[in-house]
Amino acid sequence: MRSTPVLALILLVLSVGSLFVGVIRLSPGELLAGNLSLWEIFLVSRLPRLLALLCTGIGMSVAGLIMQQLCSNKFVSPTTGATISSAQFGILLALLFLPESTLWGRALFAFAAAIVGTWIFVWFIQRIQFKDVVMVPLVGIMFGNVIGGITSYLAYQYEMTQALSSWLVGHFSLVLKGRYEIVWLTVPLVVLAFLFANYFNIVGLGKDFSKNLGVPYNLVLFLGLTIAAMITASIVVVVGSISYIGLIVPNVVAMYKGDKIRGTLADTALFGAIFVLVCDMIGRVVIYPYELPIELIVGILGSLIFIALLFYRLKHGRKAIRLGSASHSGCAAPVRAVEGGGER
Amino acid sequence: MNLAAVRANRTKLLVLTALVLLCAAGYLLVEVNLHNPKLFAYAMKLRTPKLIVMLLTAFAIGGASIVFQSIINNTIVTPCLLGMNSLYTLIHTAVVFFLGSGSAIVLNANLAFGVDVVLMGLTATVIYSWIFQKTRHNVLYVLLVGTVLTSFFGSIQTTLTRVMDPNEYDTLLTTLVASFSNINSEIILFAVVLLAAVTFALRRELALLDVLTLGKAQAINLGVDYDKCIRRLLLGVTLYIAVATALVGPISFLGLIIANLSRQLLKTYRHSQLILGSALFGMLVLVGGQLLVEHVYSYAIPVSVFITVGGGLYFLYLLLTRKKV
Amino acid sequence: MRIQELTKQYDGKTVVDAVSFSIPKGKVISLIGPNGAGKSTVMGMISRLIAHDSGLVDFEGKDIGKWKGRELSKRLAILTQSNHIQMKLTVRELVTFGRFPYSGNRVTPEDQAIIDRAIAYLELKEFQDRFLDELSGGQRQRALIAMVIAQDTEYVLLDEPTNNLDIYHATNMMKIVRRLCDELGKTVILVLHEINYAAFYSDYICAFKDGKIAKFGTVEEVITKENLSEIYQVDFEILNIAGKPLSIYY
Repeated sequence: MRSTPVLALILLVLSVGSLFVGVIRLSPGELLAGNLSLWEIFLVSRLPRLLALLCTGIGMSVAGLIMQQLCSNKFVSPTTGATISSAQFGILLALLFLPESTLWGRALFAFAAAIVGTWIFVWFIQRIQFKDVVMVPLVGIMFGNVIGGITSYLAYQYEMTQALSSWLVGHFSLVLKGRYEIVWLTVPLVVLAFLFANYFNIVGLGKDFSKNLGVPYNLVLFLGLTIAAMITASIVVVVGSISYIGLIVPNVVAMYKGDKIRGTLADTALFGAIFVLVCDMIGRVVIYPYELPIELIVGILGSLIFIALLFYRLKHGRKAIRLGSASHSGCAAPVRAVEGGGER
Repeated sequence: MNLAAVRANRTKLLVLTALVLLCAAGYLLVEVNLHNPKLFAYAMKLRTPKLIVMLLTAFAIGGASIVFQSIINNTIVTPCLLGMNSLYTLIHTAVVFFLGSGSAIVLNANLAFGVDVVLMGLTATVIYSWIFQKTRHNVLYVLLVGTVLTSFFGSIQTTLTRVMDPNEYDTLLTTLVASFSNINSEIILFAVVLLAAVTFALRRELALLDVLTLGKAQAINLGVDYDKCIRRLLLGVTLYIAVATALVGPISFLGLIIANLSRQLLKTYRHSQLILGSALFGMLVLVGGQLLVEHVYSYAIPVSVFITVGGGLYFLYLLLTRKKV
Repeated sequence: MRIQELTKQYDGKTVVDAVSFSIPKGKVISLIGPNGAGKSTVMGMISRLIAHDSGLVDFEGKDIGKWKGRELSKRLAILTQSNHIQMKLTVRELVTFGRFPYSGNRVTPEDQAIIDRAIAYLELKEFQDRFLDELSGGQRQRALIAMVIAQDTEYVLLDEPTNNLDIYHATNMMKIVRRLCDELGKTVILVLHEINYAAFYSDYICAFKDGKIAKFGTVEEVITKENLSEIYQVDFEILNIAGKPLSIYY
C-alpha cells in the first residue's frame, strides 16, 4: 500500500490551509498582488507558526518512535518516559539561576535535563524485569511525577508557578519570527534518526541480538535516546509540552505498516505533522477569534484515541499493537499472556 | 504463619501504636501553656480537629494503598495513579474559574467537601466500573487508562490556569496544596461515616484479600468470584482516596511510602496486619511531619512537600533494590 | 463429569471445536496433543477458569458455570502452569490456603490436622516453615500439590505439572499423581506434553488435534503407531516395556 504519498498530499493541503486561517484575513490573491503589510504578517507570524507546527508534529512523533523502538515497548514515549518533565525541570532551573537567560540559555538547560532524565529512566527500566509491559509506562509516569513534584515545589517556593505554566501547556500563539528558531533543530535531528533507523531497529531487538550483528548496543541506545530527548527539549522550550503525539502516532502507523522502522519513519513523521496541524486548526476555530492552546485539543483528542487504541488492542488480541518482541534482553519484559487472546 | 512471627508482628504493631500516641501527644502539647486553662482549652480546640483529620487521612490512604497493591499484585504502585488528585485539582480550578473565588462553593467548606466527594465518587464509579468491564477485567489497563485520565484532567486544568486572573490564581493555589487546617467537625463526621459505609459494604471482599494475592487462577480455584471481587475493591479504594483527597487535598506518594514500610516491617501476607501497619505508619509520617513543620520549620514548608519529595526518593530506592516489578 | 459439544473461539478463530467426552471417576486421564491443539483451553473450560462459548460442562448434574464458587472449590481443584505467587509465603501457609473454601480465614483444629496430613503425604515436613521462593522448582510444585490435597476435592486438574522439572522431579511428580488416584481415590485430569509419562501413568488418554478429539480411550487403545503418527505428523515406534506401550519418535 502506498500510504506515504497520500499522507504527503494531505499534509501539503493542510499546510496551505493553515497558512490562511487566522484573525486577519489573508488570501493568496492579495499576497500575490503585493500587499506589503499582509506579506509582513505572513512572514512574521503565519509562516513561522506553520514551520513550528510541522517541526513539532514531526519531531514529537519521531522522538516517540525512536524511544519505542529502542525500548521495544509500545507504551514508552517522551510523556511516559520522563523526558518532557525533565525538560520542564531544566527550564525552571534556567529561570531560577539565570533569570536573564535568553531562549538559547534555557534551551541548553532543557537539553541537558531532558537527556539526563531520559537516560536515567531507561537505565532504571533496563535493570528491572517487568512482569507486564504496562508496568513500564506506569513506572515512567511515576518517575515523571517525582520530577514534576520537585519542579512544582521549587516553582511554588519561588513564586514561579504561573510563569512556568507557559511551558506546561503547549501553545503556538506566541510563535513569531525571531523567537521560535530553536525548533528548527528538530530537522537535523530527524535526519540523523533517518540515517540510524536500522541501528535502532536492531538495538530494539535486544543486547545479544545486536552483539551478534556487530552493533554497539550501548552506544546506539544512548545516541538514540539523546536524539529523542533533544528533539523533545527543543520543542518544549518553544511551544511547551505536548503530550500523546509521541505515544499515539507511532502506534497508529504501526497498526498498518508494521514495526520495521525504516518503512514507518516517513509515515510516522507525516502523520504526526497532520495530527498537529488538525489539532491546531480546531484550536483556532472553536472559539474564533480567540484560540485554545493546542495542548488542550491534543490532550482531549489524544486521550480519547489512546483509550480507543487500548480497547481495540484488547478486542483484537495482540494483533493491533504489538508489544515488543517476546524474547530479548531489552527494556521490555517478556510479554505475558493477557486475558483473552493469549490464554491458550 | 507460625505463631512466633505472629507474636513478633504484634509487638511491632504495639511499638508503632505507642510511637503514634507519643507523636499525637506531642502534637497536642508542645509549646502549650499548661498553666492557663483558657489558653490550654483554646490550643486544644485548634489542634484536636487537625490531629483527627491527620489520623483519618492516614487511615484512609494507608488502607487503600495496601488493598490497591494487592489487587494489582504489585507493590510499586500507589493509588495516586487513579487520577483522583488531578480530578480534585481540576474541580477546584474549574469552580474558581467559572464561578469566581467569591462563590459559595469556594467559601463554604462543607459545600466544597460535598461537591468534591460527589463529583469524584461519581466519576470514579462510572469510569472505573465501566472501564474494568470494557478491559475484560484487566486491572493494569484500568491503571493505564487512569494515568491517561490524569493527564487529560491535567491539560484542562493547566489551560484554565493559563487564562486565569493572577489574583484568583493566588487564592486557588492555596487550596491546591494539601493542608490539615480549617476542617470543621461536621466534615470530619461526614468523612468518618463515608469511610465506615464503604468498609461495611466491602466487609466480605476484604476478608478475601489474603487469597487474592495468590493470583487469579489460585483464587478462582479456592472459590473466589475473582472479577466481581476485584471490581468492588477497586471501587472501594477509589472512594477511600476520594474522601481523603476531598478532606485535605492532593498528597501523592504517601500511600507508596507507608504501604511499603508496612510490608517491609511486618513481612507477612496477612492483610489485617498489613493494613493496620500501613495506617499507623501513615499517622506517624503525617503527625510527626506536621510536628516538625510547625515547630522546627515554623510553617515554611507544607508537609505535603516533604512527603512528595521523600516519597519520590523512596520510590527510586524501591526501584533500585528490586529486580522484578 | 460429562463434556458436551464444548466450543471456544478467540478472535473468530475456533480453538476448541464441539468437543464431547465423559470423564470416568477415580481414574487418571491425560490430555495430550501438539501445540495449539486446544488441550489447555479444554482444561481451562472444565475448571471454570475460562468461560466456554457454547456446549456444556456437566459436573455432577449441573453446568460448571452455575455452581457457586465456594461449593465447586470443595469438589474440584485446578493447578495451572503459571504460579507466580508474589507474597512471601511459607510452605505451611500456602497449604493452609487449601482449607479456605471450608473455613475462610479461621483455621480450625480439624483443618490443622488435614494440613499436617497433606504436608506429610508429600514429605514436606522438614520444609514446612521455609519460604516458597527459597525452594527448588520440584519442591515448590510439591507444595502446590499439597495445597490441592488439603483442598480435599474429588477431582484434581493439573495443567502440565511436569513443566520445567528435571527428569527426577518430573517422574516423582507423576508417581504422586498415580498415588492421588490409587491411594486417595481422586479423579485426576492432566495436560501433558510428554507422551510416555501419559502412557505409563494414566488410565485413559484423550488426544487432541486441531481443536477436536482425535482419539479417546484406554492407554492401549490410543498409544499405537498409527494414531500417534497421525496426530503428531512424525514417525513413531511403539515398544512394550513393563506392560505399557512406550513410544519413540524420530
